[in-house]
Amino acid sequence: MSPKEFLKAYWKIMLLVLFVSVSLYALFVPGGLLADDTLAGDGGLEGEEDEQEVGEGWTNLVYGLTLDGGTRLTAPVVGSTAEDLEIDPNDQTEIEQTLYSELDLDTADATVRYDEESGLATAEIFTDNVSDADFAAALQEAGVDATEDNIRDGVTQTTRDDIIETISLRINEAGLSGASVSQADVGGQFFIVIEVPDMSPTELRELIEQRGVVEVVAHHPDDDGGQQNDTVLVQEDFATIGTASFNDQSGDYVPVTITEERAPGFQDDMNDFGFTTTGAGQCAFEDDGADGQNYCLLTVVDGEVVDSHSMSPDLGANMNQGTWVQDPQFQMLTPTQQDAQQLSVNLRAGALPAPLDFNSGQTFTLDPALGDQFKLYSLFVGILAVLSVSGMIYLRYADARVAVPMIVTGLAEVVILLGFAAAIRMPIDLSHIAGFIAVVGTGFDDLIIIADEVMSEGDVNSRRVFQSRFRKAFWVIGVAAATTIVAMSPLAILSLGDLRGFAIITILGVLVGVLVTRPAYGDILRYLMTER
Amino acid sequence: MGYFEIPEIDYTRYTNRQLVAVPLAVLAVALMILGGWYLVFGTPVVLGIEFAGGSELTVETSTDRADIPDAFEEEPESVQANQAEDNQYILQFASDDQQALTEQAESNLEPAGEASIVQSATSTSASFGAALQQTALFGVAFAFIGMSLIAFIAFRTFVPSIAIVISAFSDIVIPLAFMNLAGIPLTLGTVAALLLLIGYSVDSDILLNNHILRRSGDFYESTHRAMRTGVTMTVTSMVAMLVMATSAWFFGIGLLTNIGLILFVGLAADLMNTYMLNLSLLRWYKFRGVSR
Repeated sequence: MSPKEFLKAYWKIMLLVLFVSVSLYALFVPGGLLADDTLAGDGGLEGEEDEQEVGEGWTNLVYGLTLDGGTRLTAPVVGSTAEDLEIDPNDQTEIEQTLYSELDLDTADATVRYDEESGLATAEIFTDNVSDADFAAALQEAGVDATEDNIRDGVTQTTRDDIIETISLRINEAGLSGASVSQADVGGQFFIVIEVPDMSPTELRELIEQRGVVEVVAHHPDDDGGQQNDTVLVQEDFATIGTASFNDQSGDYVPVTITEERAPGFQDDMNDFGFTTTGAGQCAFEDDGADGQNYCLLTVVDGEVVDSHSMSPDLGANMNQGTWVQDPQFQMLTPTQQDAQQLSVNLRAGALPAPLDFNSGQTFTLDPALGDQFKLYSLFVGILAVLSVSGMIYLRYADARVAVPMIVTGLAEVVILLGFAAAIRMPIDLSHIAGFIAVVGTGFDDLIIIADEVMSEGDVNSRRVFQSRFRKAFWVIGVAAATTIVAMSPLAILSLGDLRGFAIITILGVLVGVLVTRPAYGDILRYLMTER
Repeated sequence: MGYFEIPEIDYTRYTNRQLVAVPLAVLAVALMILGGWYLVFGTPVVLGIEFAGGSELTVETSTDRADIPDAFEEEPESVQANQAEDNQYILQFASDDQQALTEQAESNLEPAGEASIVQSATSTSASFGAALQQTALFGVAFAFIGMSLIAFIAFRTFVPSIAIVISAFSDIVIPLAFMNLAGIPLTLGTVAALLLLIGYSVDSDILLNNHILRRSGDFYESTHRAMRTGVTMTVTSMVAMLVMATSAWFFGIGLLTNIGLILFVGLAADLMNTYMLNLSLLRWYKFRGVSR
């Protein structure tokens, strides 16, 4: 047989060899198939995962939380939404204000969004303390035609997207890589899912729990010998935000610049309130004796005063002369380095649009040591399962011509799947391993069907006999494969946590089996049975 | 051929009624167990903490097993030692306050060497569990309906198709009842196992239907040939699952243990259902068709 004929006759085997070689390359050659970023991943920020993972261990496999350790928080967003509201787009702010006053809401706890396309608006409040009836009543007070029927639990997709973005930014700002933030629809309710390696649930909650609404408030004497507060800067007024810094003169601080739009107004406010003249250096916040003489700039986070400072004489002089606007920057001082870090993160990431309800979700955390233990042990379990199946097959057929190729083909299926997982950097979890074992199981089932069918009714003499028998066997395998894929497909789509990986691997395995390995096994058998 | 052969069963000795009686009786018992569970406990199956809400902690500690419950304000629902690792225990609680439980574990349990005390912790709130349960139920229902549709499309006749569907149903219900008796709770992992059973179960049913309906030859001859392949398949998978269940149990990997165990029981049920229930339905269909 010429090489060309050989290739034509046994291209399925060649294809299997090719798949296995590519998979082995993807698995074991450092750097793998795709040296840079990820193709896989279920949304969120996963890009940075690789830099950390690649190079660990002796394969290119990437492990998920259940095998590598880490923390996953799943929590719904607090709030309710009134939908399909007909409003005049110009009234947006006014309606928001009415909601704040009617419902006695905290800062940032209400949002009205107008959708240009549909011409309808949504109003959201981010608290659980207001009943639907009160919410509807407040909307009516604002002149919006709304009833309790318009109101549902949860928030809008836009808000959830904002939340995901803010949390991602915060985690990145905190210097953690390999994190992912996404949303999941479980039983008709949306949950935010946050996964972070190397962090305890308590640390992660601390990072996320804060709404992070930062304001700068001018605390200055009123006309009657008391003190009065005016908000002078909010989040949007900051143009650039530096990282936490330190110098001997100021201590810990965050350097910021103010936007062109706000800088003149801020300078005027400071001059009008007297901060730049009499008030410079005069701050004794919460000292009752100093009432009427205090000139403090308060850093307020989530409505709580976290720090107070006077205006430095230099900066004051600068503002007083009106030259500050040309280079509108200053230092926001903080008591400790940690506070500076937190302030910088809050300013950069922006406020969390709505709080998360950590008591109505799920918390999962795994120590990396236990993850390693699982990795090793599940490898053992897998090897034992494969050995026992191989043993059974050999006992059943007692014919190395049938059994050995069967075992080799079955293993090839696992290698291809692992290679695929490594190539697309799919994070392997414990549930994936269960999927691998399931694939080995169905894979061997199908190989048994092929072998029995091909060898039924005596020896295979001609290629035509072989083909017809193989086709018969393949019908059964095809229907069975279709069933497994249909049975598993809802799980691959639904947000059922662990089950998703399991279902994806099982479906992929069935596909690889039907398209690549089982036809190849047929050819191997044909070669062994007919060519002598 | 081979060190073991699939025995040839002389089906002519039994009537259809006799053959059907056994699997139907087992199915009835299984359904009664599930029904009884529902009447007594309010749910037909034991729900794991993922669905019912609660916490599971894996701790590594040198504290004696008997003294572990004292470390917590709330009595653990169960304490289970890992066979493969000394000093490692899996604790379950009804509370979903992961923070409090972790704190109590860390302050009241003695560390074993360098390892951190709390190796792993999962807490699920009851509401999230309920939502998860609903989604899982939807997934299983969808999978079952999809499987039934494919069975009907593949065979395009009522009796053989419905035989597959009934067998698959029974293959799921029997392990569910077994789970109740063995104290295995329903978790995401066990739901996955039940879904896999749909796939495995259909394999052998389709094989049998295919041999009997789409091949020429004597009914019993076809049956025997289908059995030789089918029983080999199922028994091989059963061995794999039993090995997986026992080794995973030894190594303390609960997810794999449960999946293996349920598949083992389900595959055993499948042997019975395929070669007694499905087979007699097919025989009735085939011979009634001939005599008419």
